[in-house]
Amino acid sequence: MSPTVVGKPIPRVEGADKVTGKARYAADVHLPGLLWGKLARSPLPHARILRIATDKARALPGVHAVLTAEDIPAVLVGRRMLDMPVLARDRVRFIGEPVAAVAAETLEVAEEAVTLVEAEYEELPAVFDPLAALTADAPIVHGDPGAYQGAPKERPHANVQSIQRHREGDPERGFGQAARVFEHTFRTPRAHQGYLEPRASVVSIDDRGRVQVWTCNKTPFRLKEQLAQAIQLPAERIRINPAPIGGDFGGKGFFTDVALAYHLARVAGRPVKIVMSYTEELMAGCPRHPSVITLRTGVDANGRIVARTSRAVFDGGAYAAFKPRPNVDLHGGHQAGGVYRIPHLDVESVCVYTNNVPGGHARSPGEPQMIFAVESHTDMIARELGIDPADFRRRNLIGEGERLGTGHVVERVKAREALESALEAGQWRAPRRPRVGRGLAMSQRFAGLGDASVRLRREADGRFRLITAIPDTGTGAHTVFRQIVAEVLGVPLDRVVISIGDTDSVANDAGVGGSRVTRVGGQAVYRAAQAMREALARGTDPNRPLETEAQFNADKAESVTSFSAQVAEVEVDPETGAVKVLRMVTVHDAGRVINPIGHQGQIEGGLVQGLGLAMMEEIRAEDGRISTLSLGDYKLPVTKDTPPLTTVILEDPVGPGPFEAKAIGEMSISPVAPAIANAIFDACGVRITELPLTAEKVFFALQSRGGSR
Amino acid sequence: MTLRLHLSVNGSAHDLEVPASRRLIDLLRYDLGLTGTKEGCGIGVCGACTVLLGGRMISSCLALAAFADGAEVTTVEGLANDARLHPVQQAFIDYGGFQCGICTPGQLVAAKALLDEIPNPTEDEIQEWMLGNLCRCTGYYKIVESIQRVGGPDMAPHTPPRSERPGGPGAFLDSPPGA
Repeated sequence: MSPTVVGKPIPRVEGADKVTGKARYAADVHLPGLLWGKLARSPLPHARILRIATDKARALPGVHAVLTAEDIPAVLVGRRMLDMPVLARDRVRFIGEPVAAVAAETLEVAEEAVTLVEAEYEELPAVFDPLAALTADAPIVHGDPGAYQGAPKERPHANVQSIQRHREGDPERGFGQAARVFEHTFRTPRAHQGYLEPRASVVSIDDRGRVQVWTCNKTPFRLKEQLAQAIQLPAERIRINPAPIGGDFGGKGFFTDVALAYHLARVAGRPVKIVMSYTEELMAGCPRHPSVITLRTGVDANGRIVARTSRAVFDGGAYAAFKPRPNVDLHGGHQAGGVYRIPHLDVESVCVYTNNVPGGHARSPGEPQMIFAVESHTDMIARELGIDPADFRRRNLIGEGERLGTGHVVERVKAREALESALEAGQWRAPRRPRVGRGLAMSQRFAGLGDASVRLRREADGRFRLITAIPDTGTGAHTVFRQIVAEVLGVPLDRVVISIGDTDSVANDAGVGGSRVTRVGGQAVYRAAQAMREALARGTDPNRPLETEAQFNADKAESVTSFSAQVAEVEVDPETGAVKVLRMVTVHDAGRVINPIGHQGQIEGGLVQGLGLAMMEEIRAEDGRISTLSLGDYKLPVTKDTPPLTTVILEDPVGPGPFEAKAIGEMSISPVAPAIANAIFDACGVRITELPLTAEKVFFALQSRGGSR
Repeated sequence: MTLRLHLSVNGSAHDLEVPASRRLIDLLRYDLGLTGTKEGCGIGVCGACTVLLGGRMISSCLALAAFADGAEVTTVEGLANDARLHPVQQAFIDYGGFQCGICTPGQLVAAKALLDEIPNPTEDEIQEWMLGNLCRCTGYYKIVESIQRVGGPDMAPHTPPRSERPGGPGAFLDSPPGA
């Protein structure tokens, strides 16, 4: 039987709350007696703390607590590698690192108190460039990183956070088969996730001594564990309450200032709220890692790639604490094979300590960096060989049952279909006007792994209530869950209601990340609904409570991935170097689409974030001091930056999610920048290898070429 | 120094005493508990705090509360008429004009101001008017479409949609919302 609710454009379950202003985000939480917290931050990138005097701050009327490292447990925290203090102790390692925290009656008083905290420092040599940090005489950011809990073992240099290698075949032999070898280096900048909800944390200690938390965190169960470790309390004493999240894009898995809000609340004896300003977000958030990526590729006489080495160096900043993967690395560092068949491959991905703001996760961590390099490199090789970039890709595309550069053998491969669809919709071969060029780029990504647990309850009024602890980050996940329940039970949508629970309400949940929610959470929902259907079929007393529970754990990648292909068409002004993106085509290999409104929304949002990375976004810094400290200086795309867009969906019901759904959240962001860079080359013959693709860079490249062709 | 202010917010009269430095956004959020209005950038560039002051759009994070003395302020909480959503609120729900919802109050207030001034705006007019309202989730396509579609699903946009997903599986532009 074909689905009746799945596949339909069902409006959002939380829609009415979000359009009327009723949705209560963490910063909106108000409690009786609430105090405002604010942090004093380091003005230096690397220094020894000689003294912190807080008496003036404490004396300010309205101040209830002032804390330094002396006042809190001497623990280090982190999502995987525990290398960061809650407040700097003895040493600061980046500008913006918290050194003291205050709580006061009003935000104004808290802000004034922060200015009265007096710290004396002895400045130390600092390092800001990730390549310089790996040289023999570089300043050392941490004395002995190997001693930190969760630290990876291998460390060829004290400034290495993590180093990961992966080999396929025999690269030395592979390069021996090459007729030509090409090597190019690419750079990408630090970038903010750009959510419009600055981080907010509210902590209250209730009458029974339980720590009640409201914050914008998308992995509440992980936060509970991290907080328990940070504040040295048993996890049962902590409850993470649900609040919608005002934009995530990878950044809201970070534990923020929750531990400090707790300590302030404990000392002051009143609930405390800490809300970052956007300046603090840009100075001390958890931005996308800048990268320097060198690719070296051997191609045989038939234009087939035979070997590649990739060396990706990511600027991890002063702490590795914000990276959640067990290997403390970024997923994208290992995507150097792209969507191609490369028999011999040697990949190295390094995250490096510097005295910059620590890097965190951002939508498809590391991948837009790597795919910019891979797909620009692919185009450069094709051009140098005199082969059409589409034809060069056709020769090298991964095929059915072949191994990707990540080592995964893939089936139901849609790479060729995605490419051909993009070329057709992008009118690849149609004549171009002068100054207009077209560029192509591709990527692939697996749905994320993790676990989820949900409960489904039949209510007295005959409705079915799904209880999940997956927070609402705005992706539409709960609407998808509702569709799944209605579909499996064969009931109208309005008989399915959703409750987003706290960390007491279900067993465990990995939360949001890695494009996994529909796949992992969706499978748990599907199983709970099937169990309910079976229970109902057995016949039950409608007056007795009925509840089913399901857990789902995805612990290894399937053989099915998702391919994306994009074509960008741009016009370059030879006088100024200005680039206008005239239109874009994006093609996605999508499995079965459960909700086309939400699905398309993910594609469009990801694509425009990719456009931001391509064209304008850059946290600029000089010697660790960030100069783009407002959304006036750090530019995000606005309405008029968005090009006309054509989306093509290739539906092949083989995905790992319920109803054969595939992941979509991180599929459209990565190919955008290389598609545009390749289009700029097509339009005017200049190659920009460093993001963002600004008019200045194009202008100077045109100048050094001696005018337009 | 404190000031005594009389103002009307979403049709309700208020009389309150606030510090002279109080911003309008803080008066709304903390003195009146109207937390629908959001603070994003705090410097008047993101539009999340957009409210109407005497019917005109302003960034409430840049305005002192004193500016609203004697005036009528409209926030997102004032767009719906009793239980009935404003058509632009309904269109945002039906056409996916928001995701996380943090910029949505500002988007909706700005869209209402646009529709009050230009009842049937072109795509270009919408893009121009909405320039000051950042959204990180949607890429703007569905915001523009939602505003174009105010008036119901039968009202065709003036131009082909800026984002199209022609035919094929999962196509939805022709299906009525909520079907």
